Amino acid sequence: MPILSRRAVSTAPPNHERVELPVSHLGKALTVRGILATDGELQVHGSVLGRINADRFVLAVDGYVEGDVLAREAEIGGRFTGRIFALTVALGSSAEITGRVFHHNVTVAKGAKIDGRMPWRPLNFFESLKQIPEAQS
Amino acid sequence: MTVFSRNVPEPTASAKAPARDKVDQPVPAAPDTYRAAAPTQGSPIMSSTQVSRVSVISKALKITGQLESTEDIQIEGEVEGDVRAVSVKVGGSAKVKGTVYGEQVELAGTVNGKIEAKKVVLTSTAHMSGDVIHQEIMIESGAFIDGHCRPEYGKTEGKAAPSVHKIVGTYREQAAPVAQRSEA
Repeated sequence: MPILSRRAVSTAPPNHERVELPVSHLGKALTVRGILATDGELQVHGSVLGRINADRFVLAVDGYVEGDVLAREAEIGGRFTGRIFALTVALGSSAEITGRVFHHNVTVAKGAKIDGRMPWRPLNFFESLKQIPEAQS
Repeated sequence: MTVFSRNVPEPTASAKAPARDKVDQPVPAAPDTYRAAAPTQGSPIMSSTQVSRVSVISKALKITGQLESTEDIQIEGEVEGDVRAVSVKVGGSAKVKGTVYGEQVELAGTVNGKIEAKKVVLTSTAHMSGDVIHQEIMIESGAFIDGHCRPEYGKTEGKAAPSVHKIVGTYREQAAPVAQRSEA
């Protein structure tokens, strides 16, 4: 835990940035196909088919995402198919994941369904990822 | 343990339940630590589902692709692609490249493409490059439009408008012969 908090502070140096994080909210009835990129937070309650690039990514209980997600922090409560690249990953008890979860810190709640691998990666991996977000396989 | 319980008979009798609580406590305590590890995990996900039905695409978000919703969308960021929703609000900082379909479209930002909606509102800060297909339009002074504005009834899934026309038509057809008969 102390390691996590230290890293969280180091990766996001200005505290006010966290407060100012613009939150995007994709409602239950919304379906997006394509690429989503934001410096702030993205909450998905509907479905997204495509690629997501966010600072903080939240997949709500009713949400569904198919594709790749690159985020500093990812919180999964819904169904996900694809790959997640995130420094900190939290999988809720209602999460259903098919694919890979590349992480540095991970929390998995009791009840989460995971079908796939959860490879650990060092910090360098994610730092280089942020520079070249699209080109990862 | 037995000695202890004998020495303090009153607490044990009454504290049997508390004792169980103490046994129980470590169990919830463990999940609590989990929650502490991921404090934002449960609550915002659960709460935000119930908070708002409107989808908000914030200033910092850029979407390349299609958006489809049976509810409302508020766009403050950038969208390259088509947007379909019931009510679409394109905010002052927003940029949309593509077609915006909706029952109601309110534009305060920039649209490069087309707007197709029953009710269109262009506010004073609106910048519209492209055609506007509407049934009802409101343009505030200061709005920029480069394109055609044309009313189209029925095409923009206007269920009310065409049915009204049909009713009017049948009334006329019925009314005319009656009038002729009365004249004759």
